[in-house]
Amino acid sequence: MTALSTGPETSDRDRAPRPVRPLQLTWLVARREIRLRAKTRVFVITTAILLIAVALAVALPAILSGKSKPARIGVVGGTNATISGIVTEAGRLSGGQAVAVPQPSLAAAETALRDGDLSAVLVPDKEIIVKQVPLGGVTGSVSTLSQLAGLAKLVQTVPGAADAVAHGVTLPVRGLQAPSTSLSSRLTGLFTVVIVWVLISVYGSQIALGIGEEKSSRVVEVLLSSVRPVQLLIGKVLGIGLLALAQAAAMLVVFIIAGFASGSSLVHGATLGVVIAGGAFIVLGYAFYCTAFAAAGSLVSRQSDVNSTIMPVQLPLILAYALSYTVIYANGANTFYRVLGFLPPTSPIAMPVLYAAGDVPVWQVVVSALLCAAGTVWMARIAVRIYSNSILRTGPRISFRQAIKEIRKA
Amino acid sequence: MELEIDGLRRRYGTVTALDGLTFAVPAGQVFGFLGPNGAGKTTAMRAIFGVTALDAGEIRWRGKPVDEAARRTFGYMPEERGLYPAMELFDQVEYFARLHGMDGSAAAKAARHWIDRLGLSGRGQTRIDTLSHGNQQRAQLAVALVHDPELLVLDEPFSGLDPGGIDDMSAILAERAAAGVTVLFSSHQLDLVEGLCEAVAIIHQGRLVVAGPVADLRRGDRPRLAVRVADDRTSAWAAGLSPSTGTVESVRADGTAEISLTTAADSQKILDLARAAGSVEHFAYEDMSLSEVFRHATGASVGQAEAEHAAAARTAGVPTGAGR
Repeated sequence: MTALSTGPETSDRDRAPRPVRPLQLTWLVARREIRLRAKTRVFVITTAILLIAVALAVALPAILSGKSKPARIGVVGGTNATISGIVTEAGRLSGGQAVAVPQPSLAAAETALRDGDLSAVLVPDKEIIVKQVPLGGVTGSVSTLSQLAGLAKLVQTVPGAADAVAHGVTLPVRGLQAPSTSLSSRLTGLFTVVIVWVLISVYGSQIALGIGEEKSSRVVEVLLSSVRPVQLLIGKVLGIGLLALAQAAAMLVVFIIAGFASGSSLVHGATLGVVIAGGAFIVLGYAFYCTAFAAAGSLVSRQSDVNSTIMPVQLPLILAYALSYTVIYANGANTFYRVLGFLPPTSPIAMPVLYAAGDVPVWQVVVSALLCAAGTVWMARIAVRIYSNSILRTGPRISFRQAIKEIRKA
Repeated sequence: MELEIDGLRRRYGTVTALDGLTFAVPAGQVFGFLGPNGAGKTTAMRAIFGVTALDAGEIRWRGKPVDEAARRTFGYMPEERGLYPAMELFDQVEYFARLHGMDGSAAAKAARHWIDRLGLSGRGQTRIDTLSHGNQQRAQLAVALVHDPELLVLDEPFSGLDPGGIDDMSAILAERAAAGVTVLFSSHQLDLVEGLCEAVAIIHQGRLVVAGPVADLRRGDRPRLAVRVADDRTSAWAAGLSPSTGTVESVRADGTAEISLTTAADSQKILDLARAAGSVEHFAYEDMSLSEVFRHATGASVGQAEAEHAAAARTAGVPTGAGR
């Protein structure tokens, strides 16, 4: 304060504070959280990494399975319905796609094969040529093609057999039970659960750390001279929540764009329902947990203690998350996991999984969501009281048991 | 009176922080709120802002109990300074202006004004935790001043400042008071601040000891005379002093006797007595220091009071603000 003048009064009275609406204060707090966090390099980088991860997770399986790029099989000596039928069937049986490409001559076909334009060349009734026979023999569509073409050669003596080959040679498979949800839907469920888990844990710890920072730096004392504790808490979780929601929405957009662009089966049919249910439970899960994380953050007096106070808050999430893998890769969830699907602390993770695996109908998802919403109100009331009671307390870390005992007394 | 502190009581477990504290602060003055560490100053100031609960008592601003709207016109600099470490200076000051109800442009203007005014020009985009300790103090003051508060409450604003910093802080407080602001600051260094405020309230163990204009308190009800006679290191000359004239309170190392007079008229008798004993080197009325005022009123020195408080707090296991 060396460059100080005690000159005439410079402040004018029209600067005097005007009445403030409570929501305006809450929004000011939220805005600070958004501005400060969105500006940081960590946020920008993690968002970019998350979006790239989502795009790869969606597009890679589709690209790798080769669905978007059928194998080109050269056919020498002209094609007919039978030959192209054999090629198409061979592609389908081997789990991919194959098209017959007529070749003017064997020499031209071999050139195209060497250049990589063709995957293989079929000389009907004679041979199949590949660029190089792999160690251990051919596999996949070429192997299937050689079997089918050989079969076609065998059945040419039987009238009408060739047509049968052209129209598909497999027998239908009938299951005694209704088919389980497709793997792609389950994988979407898994994907959703990972996002719910990551968003709630990451942003939840940010809430707790932010509150720990306010408490340990004592800035909270200055804040609470003009803001009520509940306004400060709601503003904080709202600001961080909007950031989380924006990130989740960006991931969803990337998911849909990458899904359609790569022709991924993840974005079709029931799977989209899983994404929508997942989105709803991201919001519900965040709403349920944000105040609990805030209460946990208010118990510490040093920021480094935050990790231990948020552990009990995270436990139900960890439980539901760890068990979700058993549901994704199994036919039918066990009763225990179904119960988790309806308990507010675990339902944000468990219910999208159950729904994705086809284990629950839509109405049960709605019931679970309503229960979670009610649980959110209950949790918020307790958490706000713990927070208000603890945020101005100095001294050693307060345990949850102690905090709950105190608000019961009050 | 602008601010009235009326009968505040607060207990923490077995420790009584405030025990019926009552005093009032007039407008347009720099008012010192003094007492040893642990006397209850911080608790009382936090109570003004509603950040500590009271067991009893009331705080009134312009005759009405303090509410949220009133608090929004107050500025607060807490004892344990607190700002967001990772936030930039300008953003931080502007944020607090807005929390006190200023709109966007007024808040930005006021933030710039106070940043420049407190010698932090060019630091607006600097993170708080990279500012020097002294500049963090200025940032804290900017946050307290940015919304042009009508009541300014500062908890130990002079603690940790160098002499230049003390002068600057005191100039700002005086200037705010001259602008009509009610300024209340606390300090446990009674003598350091006696020249910096017009009136004080001195408290001890959660109760008011004395309050009033500094000049009146230091003069006391019995004027004090300091007399030194050459080559008389023990003030032997004063043995002939009659108790009806005055009594020797203490003798300083240089032989100066501190005599409290029964009436001012008797000073000439004392001068005669001293001159009879030798050459009088020093003869003057002296005011008490504020820590002497405290000792007179409580029977304990500020240091003793702080030591007692620290010992009591250790026994009770209650964290105290007396950590400095």
